[in-house]
Amino acid sequence: MLLVLSAEHRAHLGCLPQAGGAVVGELGRLAMEQLRRGTAPRACEAAARKLSIGVDTIQHGVEGLVYLLTESSKLMISEVDFQDSIHVLGFSDELNKSLIQLYLDNRKEIRSILGELAPRLPSYHSLEWRLDVQLASRSLRQQIKPAVTMKLHLNQNEDPTAQVLQTDPATLLHLIQQLEQAMGEMKMNHCRRIVRNMK
Amino acid sequence: ILDDPDLKDIDPTVLKHCHAAAATCILEAGKQKADISAISTCLEDCKLDKERIEQFCTEYQKNKDALEILLGSIGRSPLHITDVSWRLEYQIKNNQLHKTYQPSYLVTLNVESSDSGSHPDISFSCTMEQLQDLVGKLKDAAKSLERATQM
Repeated sequence: MLLVLSAEHRAHLGCLPQAGGAVVGELGRLAMEQLRRGTAPRACEAAARKLSIGVDTIQHGVEGLVYLLTESSKLMISEVDFQDSIHVLGFSDELNKSLIQLYLDNRKEIRSILGELAPRLPSYHSLEWRLDVQLASRSLRQQIKPAVTMKLHLNQNEDPTAQVLQTDPATLLHLIQQLEQAMGEMKMNHCRRIVRNMK
Repeated sequence: ILDDPDLKDIDPTVLKHCHAAAATCILEAGKQKADISAISTCLEDCKLDKERIEQFCTEYQKNKDALEILLGSIGRSPLHITDVSWRLEYQIKNNQLHKTYQPSYLVTLNVESSDSGSHPDISFSCTMEQLQDLVGKLKDAAKSLERATQM
């Protein structure tokens, strides 16, 4: 699958050929830092001064690289496809090689960063449980009512939440049976076939 | 009871007092899980004759179990789980990342509140390993329940 680069994108990356190997390395580093931590205008200014290039050019170059890397990582394009996609920019072989290396080295990290942007439901973190027996209440004395009290820890967008829940023994056994059935589904032929064929 | 044709000759105030007194007596007996002799003694002290005491006790015996269940269900407790549903999905891509190829489970716990009767269900997603962890912990709870009943 080939990446299609817009005219604006190509213009931004156009500063790379004149820049030279060291600059490309520096811009690549800035691009990765931007992906990890967000834009850092001061770092771009410092790089511009060090390399005697305009700040805007540096900015555009970094943004162009960021977009190139994120799109390629998102689509998980192969090395060959990446090579063919940047071929249209008309860069030197050496520049192409450094760009490919930059892509391959950082692809996994970029994918994990992008993975955190996806919409998410609260996710399971852990469960604590306790066995209780109710012996009496205001309305009824002399009871024996067993119950299992649980604290369900969930993560909602990195915020941990805890919910206190209770259930009776019969429901507990029902829950276990249902969830064991759920786990078993993954091992069924149907699921296995789909997982195999979808790679 | 105020509309009952058999009782229309009796003064409504007296009827209300009788009804309230009978209800209180029944509830106290239920709460304390009193047996027949205790109820009889109490009613004797109130100067009811033998026939009425017997009638009262027979009716009480008939409804004792339902009464106990009702009294036992009054009271506050944390959200009570009534059922669970699950969904297994295989994620292929999202708008930020393609070719994710990740199976995940979506589990929904149906819960009931002791106060209002209904409550939004609790849903969460988990991976295969997390589901295994959850089921493992639930099974530990069940095992300890079993051991407690055998003590």
